[in-house]
Amino acid sequence: MNSMKKNQSHISEAASLSYVLPTESSPQGKGTLQRAWGSLWPLLKTERKNLSIAGVSVVINSLATLLAPVVIARAIDVYVANHDFAGVLRYGFILFGIYIVAVFANYFQIKRMGTVGRGVLFKLRNELFLKLQNLPIAFFNQNKTGDLISRINNDTDKLNQFFAQALMQFIGNGFQIFGAAIFLLVLNWKLGLATLLPAFLVFVVTQLISEWVKRKSRAGLQSLGAMSAEVQESLNNFKVIIVFNRLDYFRTKFKEANQANYHASVWSGIASGVFTPLYTFASNLGQLIVLTYGLYLIMTGHLTIGLLIGYILYVNSFYNPLRQLATVWSSLQLALASLDRIQDVLSLESNMPVLHAEESDVQSRKGESVLEFKNVSFGYPDGKQVLHDVNFTLEKGKTYALVGPTGGGKTTTASLMARLYDPTEGTVLLRGRDIRTYDPAIRSEKIGFILQEPFLFTGTIRDNIVYGNAAYAECSDEELAHALNQQNLSGLIARFDEGLSTKVTGNADGLSLGQRQLIAFIRAALRKPELLILDEATANIDTVTEQLLDEILEQFPKETTKVIIAHRLNTIRNADEIFFVNAGSLTLAGDLEHAVDLILHGRRES
Amino acid sequence: MPSRRAQSSGLDFSPATPSANLFALLKPYTGWILLLTLVTLVANGFNLVVPQLTAHAIDAYTAHTLHLGSVILSFFFVALGIALFTFFQSIVQTIASERVARDLRNDISAKISVQEYATIDQLTPAKLLTNLTSDVDAIKTFVAQAISSLISSVFLIIGSCILLLMLNWRLALAVIAILPFIAGTFYVVLGRVRKLFLKGQQIIDWLNSVISESIIGASLIRLLNSQRIEEAKFEEAAAASRSVGLQIIGYFSLLIPIITFLSNMATLTILLLGGYFVIHGSMSLGSFTAFNNYLLILIFPIMIIGFMSNVIAQASASYDRIMGVLEQQDSKDEGTLENELSGTIEVSQLSLKHGEHATLKDVSFRIAPGTKNAIIGPTAGGKTQLLYVLTGLIQPSEGTILYDGQPINAYKKQRLHEQVGFVFQDSIIFNLTLRENIAFSTTVKDGDLQKAIDTAELHDFISTLPEGLDTIVSERGNSLSGGQKQRIMLARALALNPKILLLDDFTARVDTNTEHKILANVAQNYPDLTLISVTQKIAPIEHYDQVILLMEGEVLAIGTHQELMQSSPEYVQIYDSQKSTENYE
Repeated sequence: MNSMKKNQSHISEAASLSYVLPTESSPQGKGTLQRAWGSLWPLLKTERKNLSIAGVSVVINSLATLLAPVVIARAIDVYVANHDFAGVLRYGFILFGIYIVAVFANYFQIKRMGTVGRGVLFKLRNELFLKLQNLPIAFFNQNKTGDLISRINNDTDKLNQFFAQALMQFIGNGFQIFGAAIFLLVLNWKLGLATLLPAFLVFVVTQLISEWVKRKSRAGLQSLGAMSAEVQESLNNFKVIIVFNRLDYFRTKFKEANQANYHASVWSGIASGVFTPLYTFASNLGQLIVLTYGLYLIMTGHLTIGLLIGYILYVNSFYNPLRQLATVWSSLQLALASLDRIQDVLSLESNMPVLHAEESDVQSRKGESVLEFKNVSFGYPDGKQVLHDVNFTLEKGKTYALVGPTGGGKTTTASLMARLYDPTEGTVLLRGRDIRTYDPAIRSEKIGFILQEPFLFTGTIRDNIVYGNAAYAECSDEELAHALNQQNLSGLIARFDEGLSTKVTGNADGLSLGQRQLIAFIRAALRKPELLILDEATANIDTVTEQLLDEILEQFPKETTKVIIAHRLNTIRNADEIFFVNAGSLTLAGDLEHAVDLILHGRRES
Repeated sequence: MPSRRAQSSGLDFSPATPSANLFALLKPYTGWILLLTLVTLVANGFNLVVPQLTAHAIDAYTAHTLHLGSVILSFFFVALGIALFTFFQSIVQTIASERVARDLRNDISAKISVQEYATIDQLTPAKLLTNLTSDVDAIKTFVAQAISSLISSVFLIIGSCILLLMLNWRLALAVIAILPFIAGTFYVVLGRVRKLFLKGQQIIDWLNSVISESIIGASLIRLLNSQRIEEAKFEEAAAASRSVGLQIIGYFSLLIPIITFLSNMATLTILLLGGYFVIHGSMSLGSFTAFNNYLLILIFPIMIIGFMSNVIAQASASYDRIMGVLEQQDSKDEGTLENELSGTIEVSQLSLKHGEHATLKDVSFRIAPGTKNAIIGPTAGGKTQLLYVLTGLIQPSEGTILYDGQPINAYKKQRLHEQVGFVFQDSIIFNLTLRENIAFSTTVKDGDLQKAIDTAELHDFISTLPEGLDTIVSERGNSLSGGQKQRIMLARALALNPKILLLDDFTARVDTNTEHKILANVAQNYPDLTLISVTQKIAPIEHYDQVILLMEGEVLAIGTHQELMQSSPEYVQIYDSQKSTENYE
């Protein structure tokens, strides 16, 4: 009991957490190289083999690219100039060999790095989706679907592109820059230091502006997310838009989001475009310094003109890759901004963990109590308290009805029974044990809940009625038909044009609400739960069919506890007990007449 | 109402319009493209000045005419000029590409906004979302990265070919002979890769719909603890995406080395053939060296095109998909009538077929102005479909609907929708303020808004909200109760001050007490309203002027409650099913 209290305080603390993803454009950290490495390396760890092969290929490919001109120059200088065609032929063969090697190196580089990019994309998308699945529904009330889709599809792809196209260039260029720098210093340390000075300045400026660039990149991505959200909402509600003459709504709302995205993207593009001119400028300054300082050294007798000419050429081999690095650097900022948006989601933790159950709790009291609310209060994160200190016990095999005005807290009460939310205060006990200590698989086996607005997945009716039901996932059509027959559900299936194989779609515009409720009913009935909650589950079904559903419910095993939320009184006339739910509290209504009296004349607050 | 779609979120490889011309899209932006190309050429040309400055300085030094100050000054300004020009290039590139993207998105959304409901349903929101985001992005990348380098590459290739031909036509022909091979390789590979890119974008549609279903169905998934099933669905789509991606990489990892190799073969040819010519005296060593240098100018743009081929293929695939939307037939509004409706509706011999199956069969009835009418009948009887047809959301297969003696399509759609309020069965709430949700139509006046709120019994609820009408409703109205959502939907329809009100099972989620009040409010505040109410409950409609019993798409009986109690055994059966508690309601 003691430990339970501790857990409780921990939970209520966590419950106050908000799931709102940041939508402003401030990134979480600075866009420095160290941080980039820290964020990117974990993604690449499993790709070591591909990375090494690609790395080796990059080196071979660059060597081949460097070697070929040397071979040509030598063939011309030595053999063409001396009219020795046999020598030219021989060098031709060597050149051919180099080109062949380059083909393979090039192939492996592109293939392996592309594979790495795709691997990272696949991994990140799955991780994000997995995270979404592990977050409670409160998260989805607070974030826009379109923005989440954009994070899973677009942001991850930015990282893919960086890995597939830029990373090897980044490494290759870095390698060349490093090598050239050492060479320059060894050749003439004074001149070398002077040459590297602009590069150092560029490094400092880069550190300073990278964060700004990343912020602009993030703003661009955020506005893309906002635009997706707009599209998603409007298109899924298109019939209202048509019937209320608001085709202009979609157009103008979209235009606004589009214009905002244009604005943010232009800035993001301009910010990303800062690096190239900056690096080019540094490269030219480097050359200027070499030239003037070199001439000064020659005048003071420390350098010869021949060495200076050579040196100027080497300076290019330092600054050319640096200039290329500029492009890579801006795509790195975009990748990091995307990664930030991805990590916004990945870093969220569910505030509804499964608590550790005490030994004594697990051997649950074998009483008649199926479900119990103990001093339960609940409020949504947006402030309003919905339930105040609610206490009640549901007993095995009984049927309970929750009645009361809309907005009184009936659905919330039912949602807490099935742990769609955790109470902000108090405890919900399932079979005498804190519902939070149950493994979700076991909980969902015990509790069936037909939601007010049933949801169907794209697929067939069969797919939907066996959805998430391990017992029937693999069974044949005959076995399923038999099971349906046994529970008298076949008649309901026959009402659909093509029976079990009738197609349905996720946005469910193909079926009426009543039809969807029928399918949800069958889905829940097939699961044979211990506690079945019907939240206005038959509200849109005609009363004749409803009687049929009542008969089916009555044939459930007699241990089944039923909780029925309804406005239609005939739905609840068979209830053993009726609770009147209003303004966040539950009152036992006694018999139907008293309930009706409460409904018609009771204090109302909604 | 059976599914109207043969396919949904799965893959559909129906061919889009055969390769639409990507360049046609750029026509309105000729100015921008020219500016971009010009700036790119100038910025690149500027870069050639620096080595010359260096060379001049060294020459001047050896000739003892060096003036260091002026060298530094000119060098510095050239460097600054290059930096500014490069920056300018990137700005032009960004603005041009973002404009193309923005305008294209607006075109698509304008197109979407003149489509019929059924078309959007068929195209699927998931695909349109990809069209507006990922597909447009591919074209944006094309404009930003590929277009200027493509144009300058073509110039460089043509220019260097001419130079090579002038220098030594035999050698030049040997080199140019390689170009068709390169072009051939491009053609073959890009054709295949385009198909793969199309497939890749279709998988994005698929991912969109899996994610979106997993979010809308989040409660159910958590109740059934079926997260693993959703993960498996998602992983299947993500794996398909990876597999297409890897196939594309497979092609490019061949294409780019092959192009490189073919260009390298040109270099090798020149070395051998040119070497032979020089050795046999038909070519000078000087022009041989020059030839080699020009060859580099030819090869460089070929390589650039090779690197850009990825961007080109993706953009062309995405453009095909976008054209598929832009070429949709507009829903034609041929209606011209704008007169005020009296409420008279005549429906005759209406049928609605979906393939073999008919959801409405030969439905005929008449609605008199200002009357209250109920449509009652079992689930899946075609009631909702009938309302959709009455509002023009769906076109009937046969039969006519006359408003005041004129066919529905003779009315201007906007005028019709202004006068026919529709309360949908499922709650559709926007992530906007309550005010914007209720006064959703722009024509709503403040007085009408208040009247609608009062009629729908929403004032008490709104007064409990700290920000009242300006409270923003959470995503999909998730924080509202079913009854609250339903009443907001009613208020939204009433705020139009409609002549005709269609209710689709409105009372299902509202408690009896509130229902009585609301119906009384409607009668009092909207006395002339013609009401058509689809409902399950008989008690509230006993005094209605007309009750239509609809079963399996057919009208079984029409009349007042009393008449149907006499004439229709099916109606009596429904009545009996509700009798037990009728005295309470």
